Formats: sequence, structure tokens, C-alpha cells
Amino acid sequence: MQHVAIVGAGGMGGVHGRAYREMLNAQPVAVMDIRREVAEFVAKSLDAEAYTDFDRLLERKDIDVIDVCTPTPWHKEYVVRALRAGKHVITEKPMARTLEDCKEMIQEAEKAGVTFMVAHVLRFFPEFAKAKELIDAGAVGRPAVVRTTRGGRYPSAWSDWFGNFEWSGGVMLDLIIHDFDWLRWTFGEAERVFAKGLVDRRIEHTDYALVTIRFKSGVIAHVEGTWLNPTGFTVKFEVAGDRGLIEFSNKTSAPLIVAQTKTDEEKPGVPIPESPTLKNPYFQELQHFIDCIETGTKPMITPEDGMRAVEIALAAIESANTGKPVSLPMTN
Amino acid sequence: MSAVKIGIMSFAHLHAYSYADCLTRMEEVKFVGIADDNLERGRKAAEQFGIALFPNYHALLDAVDAVIITAENARHVDLTIAAAEAGKHVLCEKPLATTIRDAQAMIDACKTHKVSLMTAFPCRFSPAMVKLKEHVDAGDIGNVLAIKGTNRGKCPGGWFVDLEKSGGGAVIDHTVHVVDLMRWLLRSEPAEVYAEISNLMHHAAYDDVGLLTITFDNGVFATLDTSWSRPESYPTWGDVTMDITGTNGMIFMDMFAQNIVQYSDETMRTQWSNWGSNIDYAMIADFVSSVANNVPVSVTGEDGLRALEVALAAYKSSEIGEPVKLPLEQ
Repeated sequence: MQHVAIVGAGGMGGVHGRAYREMLNAQPVAVMDIRREVAEFVAKSLDAEAYTDFDRLLERKDIDVIDVCTPTPWHKEYVVRALRAGKHVITEKPMARTLEDCKEMIQEAEKAGVTFMVAHVLRFFPEFAKAKELIDAGAVGRPAVVRTTRGGRYPSAWSDWFGNFEWSGGVMLDLIIHDFDWLRWTFGEAERVFAKGLVDRRIEHTDYALVTIRFKSGVIAHVEGTWLNPTGFTVKFEVAGDRGLIEFSNKTSAPLIVAQTKTDEEKPGVPIPESPTLKNPYFQELQHFIDCIETGTKPMITPEDGMRAVEIALAAIESANTGKPVSLPMTN
Repeated sequence: MSAVKIGIMSFAHLHAYSYADCLTRMEEVKFVGIADDNLERGRKAAEQFGIALFPNYHALLDAVDAVIITAENARHVDLTIAAAEAGKHVLCEKPLATTIRDAQAMIDACKTHKVSLMTAFPCRFSPAMVKLKEHVDAGDIGNVLAIKGTNRGKCPGGWFVDLEKSGGGAVIDHTVHVVDLMRWLLRSEPAEVYAEISNLMHHAAYDDVGLLTITFDNGVFATLDTSWSRPESYPTWGDVTMDITGTNGMIFMDMFAQNIVQYSDETMRTQWSNWGSNIDYAMIADFVSSVANNVPVSVTGEDGLRALEVALAAYKSSEIGEPVKLPLEQ
């Protein structure tokens, strides 16, 4: 039985907490947030104890696992301190805001000899897992052109931190890093990245990016990320190869659509597609992590994977800033 | 007003068959006949549409007011100059030419001989596109920030993959339509092009996948997927799409989405049967009207050249691995 402390009680902290509650071999026992009332609210919902001070949390010897769900720039600090305290650690994506931070986390994890995983949950979304399975089985022949789309409205959060580019890295680091990791997992290492975005415009609550990635295998990928899509959260992908094509859209591949005549705001609602599964992807992801701790096996997402996804995102940001393609790896 | 006398020069491009079909149904047109340097192809086409086959291009030019040129891309230049010298108006298939020099020579010849040169960009006549432009012009999505475009299809084979005749593969074939729509919509010229281009589908010497990033003078950025990436089993020929992101919303256009889905045990295939408007007809009617009324054409040779230039810049970018600035140096 793994006792878990969640650090950062925002949207993702709650999702993780509820997933641990469902597990037979894990239990959320503590929730930490610098906002006392938020920590207490989430802790109460999980029958866990609330903390505002990380040192006090680490003093608890019964805690096995630290799950870091803070905004991106604070990942490294909490991860490193937790690793040094001998805890197993999982951190939300993106792994960190800089490659230096990623490297430091990897080194600390090696020293600590514990289980450390970056939460790239997309690998546990059944549609993305199925797509990789199909591609690996030759469903499209040799993959050639890949297109992905991800995004919706502008996300709201503590301190509007998504809107602070220095913190979140905008859609390229925060949002389509999901796709970057899935693409790397499915098509191998990236060779170069070219991107355009709205980073330099600094228009409040506006971000959109179109990223082209050439992989070492020859595959060309086009990745769209948006916080400007008012039709609701949209996820699409298409993989064309020399023997076939697969495509997916969450707008059409949904067994339920809920459309309210009036919403709470007395306005007509946007039809919302729902695609329920027996176990949600966050549960599957965290269960995999907990099982790896219990059995002493390596997680399917390595710290190196976490860093390489960040690297693609940072290359995209650099390309958008300089107007030039950026070759990978940026670091060895 | 007497009917405009029109002929078709060469049936090399498949669009010739659609254009010929349109011409036979236009009251304001006298479809005089066709000529083709491939005599067998010309004979069959003449038979199919029940019209005269002229022994050569000059004989056809003597009998018409205007011609539609649907030869292989690299031959547009010779036929257009011949038509211009004969004093006939020209509607030329896209891409206008395979080099900037040829495209400019066509524009110059038509100017010198005071005839019209129209580039065949039927997508401008799509009711969906016209409506999209109305929405953007009315400010319905605020200021345009970015466009994600596609013009994907199946590899047409034949001379389209013979680089001497086509000037290139998927990129020259499928860049020009959507670049023309973007220029028209944005009222701005492409300033820079970056492209990743390869042959990954058919394992041959021509390009069959292309992903372009285009930055316009007004700061709008766009991508365009020109790949021949639809498998043979795909339910339709391909697509023309543009997703436009603005400061106050988005417009999604899938130009050929007006389909009935057909599942057939005869073919064991699913097909999309399009019931949308005939945009080739609308384009030719516009050309005929400009000839009849002696007014300038709505889509010019210059438009054709500017779109071609983006495709050529894409090839150059792919070769050097860097973005390429427009206009291209000659």
C-alpha cells in the first residue's frame, strides 16, 4: 500500500487524488497547497490531511509517494526535495520549464534510486494507445504524414498562470507537449522543428501554434495547438502511410453528446461530446506508476522521455522566436 | 449578344473533361471544338462530347474567340503565347507554368496582344469560400491571426509524376489553389515560405508529401498540407480545407463536405458522393462573361504567378533547409 501526498491542489491535483482513492494499493493521505483553503477543501474530499508547508509534509515518515501537480516552474523544486527525502515521485507534464531543470531532476532521480515518472497521460488514453498499436501492427504501412490537433478555450487557473508565458510556455509547452510525447513514442526521435505561434504578439489570453516536426524516420508531423477554439475541447489526429490512413476526432468518435437548451448562465449551451471509459486514463496512468513502485519495475515513461518532449516544445518556441528551423537534440 | 466561341487545347489534364462538360451546357457559349497533340486522345474526347476535332492548335485558334488550355504544366507557356499571338483570350489550367520566367512570358504575351489571361482557380468560386470571405470581411471572427490549410489528394500518376512535364509532384500540384485563396482572403502577399517535402508514399523520384509554412506581409501565418496522402481506398479524391483562427473566433471550411455517404456491396467500398455546386461551371461562366463583356478577368495571370512562386519557394526551402523570402530572385 503506497501512501501518497499530492502537492498542488489545482484541477489536476484533484483528478489525481480521486484516482488514488479508487486504487487497492494506494491511498491519498496528504494534500499540500500554498493556499490553505484550497488544500483543506481538496484534502477533505479525499479524507486526507491538509498542508501548506512542504517541509512539514516531508517530516511524515508514512508518506511513500509525492505527486507534483503544481504549475510548471515549481516542478523541479518539489521533485528534487522529494527525491532527496527518498520518496517515489511523479510529476505532471511538462516535466519542467527548462532543459537544465529536467537534467537536474534526472540526475537526482538516479542518485535517489527511487521510482520517478513524468505524467504523460496521453499514452493511457485508449484512442492514442489504440492508434499506436494499429500503426505498430502496420495498419498504415510505413507512416508518412501525421497531423494532430488539440485545444479549446483559454484555460483558467490559479494566478492565471497559463497566461504567464514565462511560467507556462503557452500552448507549445503546456498543451501540445502531449502530442509531442505521443509522436516521439510512436515515430521515434525528432530531427528538426519549425513553428509559428503568437508568442511574440503577447495578446492577452490568446495562444495558437502550428508546428512542423521532421522525424529521423522521415515522418513529417503537423501539430496544431490552440487556446482560441470556442467550439469546445477538440482532439484530432490523422496518420497517413504508404498503405493506408487512420483518423480520429473526439467530436465524432463520442458515444454521448449532451446539449442543454439552457445552461446556468441562461444561455444555450455548446453540445459537449462525452467519451466515458470504465477506467479513466488518469487512473490507468497512476495505477501503472504505483504498480511499478510495488513491483520494482521501470515505468513505461522514463525521465528521459519527459525531457525529450520538453526539448521538442522548447525547440518549437525557439523556432517561432527566431523564424528558423531548430535541429535536435538541443542537448546531449 | 452573340455566343462566345470557345475551344479546348489539349486533354492532357483531367480537368479538361469537366470543363468540356460545362461548355456543352452553356447557352452563352458556342463550344467550337478541340485540338490535341495526342491525336488519339483528342479523337476520343471529340467523340465523347460530340464536337469537332481540329487537326492542329492553329486551326482551332482561327475558329474561336477564346481557349481553355489544359495541357501538361510545362506546355502552358507555348500554347498560351500561341493563343495570345492569334489574339485569343486564355483560361489556363493551374499551375500557370513550371517556372516564373514562363509565367511572366505568358502574362507579357497576353498583355502585348491585348487578350485576357485567367488562371483556373475554381475554388474562388466555391459558395462556401465566397461565404467564408464575407464572414471574414464583415469582421465576424475579428482579425485573422492564422490559417491551417490542406489540399490533399491521391497521386494522379501519368505525366503529373514526369517532372519534365509537371515541374514537380504534390507540392506544385496542390500548393497553388489554397495559396490563391489565402492571398484573396487576406489581401496580403506571401513574404516567406518554409517547407518539408519528401517522397514517402510512393517511393519514387517525385515529391508526394509536402508541408508548407507561409508567413504573409500582414503577419498572418499559415500552414498548408499538399500531400498526395489519400489512400486509393479513401472515399473521395481529396480535400480543400481552411481552419481560420481570428481574434474573435474561428471559421472551419471543408470545401467539399457536401456529400452523401454511400456504402456499396458492388464495390465493397465507401464513397462520398458530392452534391455541392459545380465550381468549374461557375469559373468558366465568369471567364465567358468577362470575354463577352470585354472586361478584365477576375482571377489573373499575376494571381497564377504569385501562387506558383510559393510552390517554387517551397521546393527551394526544402532543398536548403531554411525559410525562403519572397519574391524569389530570378
